[in-house]
Parts: sequence; C-alpha cells; structure tokens
Amino acid sequence: MLKYLVIVLDDTSVSYCHYNNECKEKRLIDIDTLKKGIVYAMKENLSIQYVLPDYTLPKKYVEVMESIDNIKFCSSNSDMIDEADVIVLNGWCSNINFNREKTYVLRISKEELFEKEKDIKLSFDKMSRLNVVITNITSFKDSDIDRYNDVLNSFSKDVKSLIQNGFKINILTDRIMLDAMNNCNAGAENITLAPDGCFYVCPAFYHCGENGEYGLGKTKFCIGNLEKGVDIKNSQLYEVEYAPLCRKCDAYHCKRCVWLNLNSTYEINTPSHEQCVVAHLERNASKTLLESIGKHKLFVPEKEIKEISYLDPFDIIDKL
Amino acid sequence: MTKIKDLDFSWQSKITKNITFIVTKDCQLACKYCYLVGKNEKERMSWEVAKQAIDYILNNEDKFKEEAVIWDFIGGEPFLEIELIDKICDYIKIQMFKKDHHWFNSYIFSFSTNGINYHTEKVQNFINKNKDHLSIGITIDGTKRKHDLNRIWKGEGPEKGSYEDVVKNIPLWLKQFPEAGTKVTISSTDIPYIKESVLHLFSLGIHEVNINCVFEDVWKEGDDLVFEEQLIELADEIIDNNLYEDNVCSFFSEHIGKPLDRELDNQNWCGAGKMLSIDTAGNFYPCTRFAQYSLRSKRNWIIGDINNGIDNNKLRPFLTLDRCTQSSQECIDCEVASGCAWCQGENYDAALTPTIYQRSTAICKMHKATVRANNYYWNKLYRKLELEGKREDFEKRGIKVSPISCY
Ligand code: SF4
Ligand code: SF4
Repeated sequence: MLKYLVIVLDDTSVSYCHYNNECKEKRLIDIDTLKKGIVYAMKENLSIQYVLPDYTLPKKYVEVMESIDNIKFCSSNSDMIDEADVIVLNGWCSNINFNREKTYVLRISKEELFEKEKDIKLSFDKMSRLNVVITNITSFKDSDIDRYNDVLNSFSKDVKSLIQNGFKINILTDRIMLDAMNNCNAGAENITLAPDGCFYVCPAFYHCGENGEYGLGKTKFCIGNLEKGVDIKNSQLYEVEYAPLCRKCDAYHCKRCVWLNLNSTYEINTPSHEQCVVAHLERNASKTLLESIGKHKLFVPEKEIKEISYLDPFDIIDKL
Repeated sequence: MTKIKDLDFSWQSKITKNITFIVTKDCQLACKYCYLVGKNEKERMSWEVAKQAIDYILNNEDKFKEEAVIWDFIGGEPFLEIELIDKICDYIKIQMFKKDHHWFNSYIFSFSTNGINYHTEKVQNFINKNKDHLSIGITIDGTKRKHDLNRIWKGEGPEKGSYEDVVKNIPLWLKQFPEAGTKVTISSTDIPYIKESVLHLFSLGIHEVNINCVFEDVWKEGDDLVFEEQLIELADEIIDNNLYEDNVCSFFSEHIGKPLDRELDNQNWCGAGKMLSIDTAGNFYPCTRFAQYSLRSKRNWIIGDINNGIDNNKLRPFLTLDRCTQSSQECIDCEVASGCAWCQGENYDAALTPTIYQRSTAICKMHKATVRANNYYWNKLYRKLELEGKREDFEKRGIKVSPISCY
C-alpha cells in the first residue's frame, strides 16, 4: 500500500540515493502541479517528502509546500539548508556545521569511503543519524570485501559507545533494530511526482532522462499522472513477496533498490550480487556490534541475528 | 568414467548443459507458425565467432560444471551450414580432448531439422563421423495435408508444401535413429487434423510423438472444443487398435491435470537461463527465444558475449524464477495445473512490461481441453486393460513420455 509521495520540485533537485542527477538546467515544478500533488497526497493519505534544488524557492511555493506536514531533503550546498530535515552530502566534507536535529545522507563512492573512513567517524558524535549511500555499488568487487569489513569494524568501535546516546547509522544500527524487511519500497510504498506532472517509481526513473537505457528499454518510464492517477504495470513485482531472493533474506535494512536491480539484472525484483554482498557485510557487522553491546542494553527485537555462511542469498537459492 | 548412455540428456536435468549455436537465421521453408519473426538470409555464424565461443566455454570449466553437455545447432535450418557445423564439432572434440575436459565423452551434438537436406552427402558424412554422439529430430507435422498447411517453401508464387521433400528422408532417418521421436506444434488451423496426423506419424514408424499447442495467443473462440473432440477421437483410435503398446503421444500422460503444491511443485518449468544460446554476432542469450529474431515486441535479452563472457547478474532473474512468483492467483489455485506449460521467452514477449515474471495464459483453455481428453484416455485405457487382465503388466512397463516440449 502506498504511504509516501516524494515530490521532486526541480530538475536540479538533489539526489539523496543511488542515482545521479547531473542536470544543471533549472525547471521548477508548476505551482498548480504542486498544489494538485499535495491534494492527491491528502486524498490518498500519503506523507509528503519534498526534494529541493540548491536555490531559494519562491515564497509562494514555500507557502503552498507548508500547507501540509512534510519532510524536506536538500543538499549541503543548498540555500535552503535551514528549512530542510535531511541534508545530503555529496562526498565527504568535514567543514559542515552538523545539527543534531537533522538527518544526514552521505553519498560517497566506495573508494572515497575507504580512504576517508577515519575523518568520517570523527564526526559521528556531532550527528544523531547518518545514512551512508555507496554510489558505485555495482562496481563492488570481491577484493573490496575485506576493505569494507575494515570500515564497518572501525565504525562499529565508535558506534558502540554512541548508540546508547541515540546515534544511528544505517549500515550498522538499522539491522539491529529490525525484525522484518524495511527496504526502500519504491513502487510499493512510495512513488514520486516529478516536475513534468507525471508519477515515477522513484526520482531515479525521472532524472535518468529521455536517453537513459538499460538494455531492454528506456529507464525513464512514468507510472501515471495527476489526471489519471497511478497505474503501475506489473505492480506486484515491486512487493518483496514477489522477489524470490529478498523475501527469504534477513538483511532487513537493505535498500533492495529497484533502480539498481533494473540496471544490473534487468528485473525490478532481482538484486545484483554486489547489492546483496554489501548488505550482508553490513548485516554481519551489525550482528557483531549487537553481540558486543549485549542485547539487554538496547531496546531491540527479541530475535538474534543468526550466523550465516553466505554473503549472497543467490548462493543458497536451492536451500532457501 | 560415466558412460554416455547412462547420462540423462534431458535439458531439464541438472547435470546437463545445453549450449545452442544459432548458425544461421535462414531456412528453406517459411512455416506459418514459425516463432522466428526475424529470419533472414544474411546472418550466418562465422568460424571466428564460433571458435571464440567454444574457447570461452571450454576455457572456463569452473563456470560450466554440469556433468554433460548438449551442443545444439539450430537455425533457421541448421543443416544449411553443415560445413561450418562439421568444423565446429571437430574443433570441440579436439579441444575437449586436449584440455582433458570433463565433458570429453559426455557430450552429444543435437539437431532439430526440417529434414530436407538429410540425405545429402555432406550431412550423411557428418552423421557417420559422429554417430555415437548424435541426436537428430526431424520435424514432420503429420499427414500431407496437415504438414503442407503450414510447412511451405519460402518464396513468391503459389504455396508449395514440403511434405514430399521431408517424408522421403524418414526411412533413412529411422534406420539411423530407430528411437527417434518427432515434435509437432499445433496452431489454430491445425486442430481438425490432429488425429489423422498423429496416427500417420505412428504409421511411418515414429513411435514417439511430442506434440504441443503453440504458446502464443492465437486461439479462437471454440478452438478448445474442436481440439478436445480431436483428442477424444485420437484416444479411441489408439486404444481400440492397441497402438498404445508401441507408441506414445505426449498429449496422453498420467501426470497431466493435477493440482500443484505451492511449495513442493514450485519449480520453474522452463530451462531458460540454465541453457546458453549464441547468435551469429557472438551474443549470449538465456535461450534462443530471447534473441531478436525470435521476439515480436520486445528487445533481445543479452546476457553476455564472446568477448566479455557471461554477466552473472543477468542470469539471476532466470535462475531464481519459480512457478508461483510468475503466476496469477488463478494459475496457482488451478485444480488441473500440472502439465500446463509455458515458455519464458513467450512470457517475456507477451508481458505488459519487459519481464519474465508475468506468465502468459493464452494456452489455458487448450490445456483444460487436453486434461479432459487425457482423463478420458486413461479411464478408458485402464478399464480395457483391467478387463483383459493386462493392467499390472502395462504399469510395470512404465511407458515414459516427455509431456511438454519447448517449441
Ligand atoms: S541482501 Fe539481496 S536478497 Fe537480501 S534484501 Fe538485499 S537485495 Fe534482497
Ligand atoms: S529505488 Fe529506492 S533505493 Fe533505489 S534509487 Fe530509488 S529511492 Fe533509492
């Protein structure tokens, strides 16, 4: 069931996830489209998330946006950083005035993450929540496994003391708190309204542009518009029950990114080897962290995180 | 070493890899039901492409761990490229020997041919050279009028059927491959000729007739009823004339028409993804049905090529696909689901989005008609055998039939 409507306000709106948005040409959503989008969300009981561009939005837009409860995403370079709830860092920068009231998303390549691991963790105590998004997950190699494990272990040492003060980092603490799948769920729980007035599965499927191709066709495809409503063809494939690998998996914090899925395996419901391996390294590091803290010290689900022998559920598909 | 005869060469079997070379996209015929929408005379496999494909496969033994291999050659009509095929097969044999490959002596070369060139010197020399490692199927659709209805020569002018050109090679083929069976494909216009065609094939000495309805959405209102009638008449003929003693027709199988368990019977029926198909340009496909010349409305589904090898991520959807995830609730709950086949390529081609996870149900009413006729067949046959005191004996013999064939 749909729960959220993401509204991309401009073609230059920040990417807060796995996709890139390299568009430099501004195209602000039409104010009537914005109003209609808000009314649509109200009628369908959807919570709104606005994705902001870097420039200051006209006052009349801000007024319309604030006519409903919302969450706002913007980049750390945005003029509207004070208004936003979620701040996106494109690559690591230490000279940010972190604010504990806000959530931070760090979009970072694996190479930069490996290199700047120590700098990054020095800032943990200035934040209440950090979401790390590896932007080039598809290039993750088996030879990166040890290095990423080192990063997770190193982070883990600091997180261990900070977690009880409320610090959260998606790649280590989310799995600890979960006892069921909690993925991105684009196309199942959330959809995106773009400046062109059409709905998309997530902003990635809009920002990829008219020329975006993935092997079987165009990556940009809309799933309805404000006039006709939402119409997702084969919508069941966005549900975890229709993903043969994910439905049996217990990397509950995994994004299960349908955008990465489509580009790497050609199927919305099938993850790549790389996405699974990364999620399992995090899962296993979360297990170690949980064991080192002791479950009784945290308000966490009763269930243990089990010891498993694989990093990719595909390797044991026959046994799943 | 495992003996070649002990190996189960069913392509559905876990231990056998099926590797298909699309050696040409040309054919002498222009069969009306042919699923190959993009046939042409220009695209032929070059020796360089074939060699590079073989080198990739045999140099990567760890990626091809199956115990045995079927090297399959299709077209178009594969025997149009007999010289290339001969060179490919020689090279495969030499390389398997040189590399002490685990497939050495665990291989067959397999062909599905229209039979027109079967008697020619080049084809016969090839057969003699490889006779211990060969499987050849000739497609003949039945009686002359049934065969010629669809299987016509290519070209301008009045339609010319190919029956006579094929049937003349059947005795030679059966002499060389006495156990050989044939595949028959039924489309809407063929329905009235089913009975006579199957009986005709039995009379030619072909004892195994694997027959199936096309998976495409070609069926007209009422087709299922005429189809059922044909199968009932065929059942009567087979039983009344004791033809069941020496012959099998895949329409009649005891496994057809039972409910399927969500968990225990959840396997994907189709072998796409476990097979490997190579086209004339050196692209790899999960099955030939995913090459562009087989697709009506979707883009070809490439999973790698001879230069870069197989991209394992592209295989994951195929290897994780199961019956229930691709089926509608109606199919999952169906009381007569067993034996209802699908083709992953046709599913992809017919789907609303580019996915293999949406099962086409165009065949539903034809399957249900098959189930009714099949029930009739077994009720009648077992009653007869009981009255004659032969049932136990018949069951012991356990006649095997592959109930579904691909295309
Ligand atoms: S780790 Fe892989 S199988 Fe598990 S939820 Fe993530 S994408 Fe799905
Ligand atoms: S599908 Fe979800 S996880 Fe993937 S890019 Fe879109 S929003 Fe991010």
